Amino acid sequence: MADVWIYSPEAGRGSQMASQVAELGFTPRLVEANGGLRPSEGDGAASRPPDIAVVIGDEGLCGRLRDDDSFADVPILFAVRSEDLDGRVPLTEELLISPFTPAELEARIVRARRQIGGGDEVETVRVGSLEVDLATYQVTVAGEPVDFAYKEYELLRFLVTHPGRVFSREALLNRVWGYDYYGGARTVDVHVRRLRAKLGSEHAGRIKTVRGVGYRFDL
Amino acid sequence: MQADAEYVMRVVEERGVSFVRLWFVDVVGSLKSLAVPASELEPALLEGVGVDGSAIEANARGSERDVYAWPDPSSFQVLPWTTEPRAARMCCDLRTPDGEPFAGDSRQALCRVLDRAAEAGLTLQVGCEIEFFLFDEKGDPSRPPTPLDNGGYFDLTVQDVVSDFGRRAIEHLEQVGIPVTASHHEVAPSQHEIHLKHTDALTMADAITTFRIIVKEVARDLGLFATFMPKPLDGLSGSGMHLHLSVYEGADNLFFDAQGEWPGKRGGQFLAGLLAHAAETAAVSNQWVNSYKRLAAGMEAPGSVNWTRDGANALVRVPTGRPGQADTARIELRSPDAAANPYLLFAMVLAAGLRGIERGYQLGPEAETNGAAASLPGDLGEATALFDRSDLARDTLGDRLCDWYVANKRSEWDAYRATVTDFDRDRYLRWL
Repeated sequence: MADVWIYSPEAGRGSQMASQVAELGFTPRLVEANGGLRPSEGDGAASRPPDIAVVIGDEGLCGRLRDDDSFADVPILFAVRSEDLDGRVPLTEELLISPFTPAELEARIVRARRQIGGGDEVETVRVGSLEVDLATYQVTVAGEPVDFAYKEYELLRFLVTHPGRVFSREALLNRVWGYDYYGGARTVDVHVRRLRAKLGSEHAGRIKTVRGVGYRFDL
Repeated sequence: MQADAEYVMRVVEERGVSFVRLWFVDVVGSLKSLAVPASELEPALLEGVGVDGSAIEANARGSERDVYAWPDPSSFQVLPWTTEPRAARMCCDLRTPDGEPFAGDSRQALCRVLDRAAEAGLTLQVGCEIEFFLFDEKGDPSRPPTPLDNGGYFDLTVQDVVSDFGRRAIEHLEQVGIPVTASHHEVAPSQHEIHLKHTDALTMADAITTFRIIVKEVARDLGLFATFMPKPLDGLSGSGMHLHLSVYEGADNLFFDAQGEWPGKRGGQFLAGLLAHAAETAAVSNQWVNSYKRLAAGMEAPGSVNWTRDGANALVRVPTGRPGQADTARIELRSPDAAANPYLLFAMVLAAGLRGIERGYQLGPEAETNGAAASLPGDLGEATALFDRSDLARDTLGDRLCDWYVANKRSEWDAYRATVTDFDRDRYLRWL
């Protein structure tokens, strides 16, 4: 599991980011706001650089990470509140503006890692004749493009990258929408209905309704 | 740039989209479109695109106003019937130059009511049945259109062109993310109905706007024309837009009552709100001179303000949901016609229901189908006067939007009053 180090000026924002990162399957570590670049505990995990660094609101610290050779291969994600944006954007791989959805955080992490690591991320998911290109957002069925609205695509991307797991409507709403949309949890049902129609008969059945629980994508 | 806007930019590039149509509606719900070439899409997403605000006022155009159409990236959709050069559409919010919501924007008026409902913990789900007529494009425009078939309710006709129409229309609707639950021949010859699956109110309003243009486009491709005119033919049913409404508080459907004591306290209050304000909101649910010819003629169009479980002519019908399935519990509002502005309609429907809850309205007993009840306005003039005086309308839509709407409707009513119609000539020319 990839390590994410989180640099935060406030413990509250840091631990909130840590739980959001953990939700996405990463292992978060909070770095004390004492100006250091490494976690204070000297255990084994901290002796090697993380897979990704998330810096909350501190442009100067981004610069110091960038200048440190041992962090040369670490993608940096700079997170800032929209009201704190003042035109000074540090040279990092990605910028994340709060508020953001879990799906956006995940997408930003993927993009930041891709910039450093090149193409070693899985970029295309193939399930039978269904292909989802995670880099270009293009979906094809038997080679024919299928067009999706943004949230439809995000829901499909989430499902195909988490096959075989059952997610409740609330969990999907939280992961894909990240906020309480006008439709509440029923929004998920509507989008699943649209996905099934657009995917066509060969693949519609892969999105299984688990009665009383939620949905599961079957390979 | 937000993630959804980045998605739009990338899809436009990958799919070879040449231009994006920015859609918005005027105060009467007519679709307006501004095409932006792909090369200008990024500034459009970041800064909006200037439009002449007077276009929003429909036929009561006033002074020019600077308004900006801000595309909603979540509504981006490649239009499946366009080949090279491919086109896409995005629905827009309208803002003033300093970024504030434009007072004449119906879409944001609906969003404001949805926000208010959300603050009260309530969400509205809307399913929709829309009726329309198909006629031959080559017919004589000076004569009433001739029906294409003699089909009736749920009839399966063998008209190839009509079957082709249904197949293509549903295919296009599904491709743009508008799920269809059913389609069938309606009561009148040449009349059809398509059911759109329930969704949140904003998505449904966008869907209805898209639906009407898709139906018209498909019909035109087949040498037909489709009309959502509320009452196109004498002596035959008009075209309604029946709304199936469910209101949720968290996960609970207010219209579902497991103990069988329908409709429950808050569900009853919501329904009482709809009924109490039905007359003053008729100018929105039935906004054309012609709308009142549909309501006057009966034929399953409601004229009275009442609710029933089984009467076909009631303003609100309470369908029997599937036993034990909370999501199927709903009420059906039957007065709106197929040519209403869905944004204003949903805003007023929700506001009326919310007022019923906020002020604790009591639901009256289930009426007999032909029982005495307050009536809907008899014509657009009466409806407009009621709307103009409505506190609910002004609280919900704001004075400026109400005033523009009233100016539109008065102008239409005045034009109608000054017109000598076939009715006048047929009846009076030789007689008097």
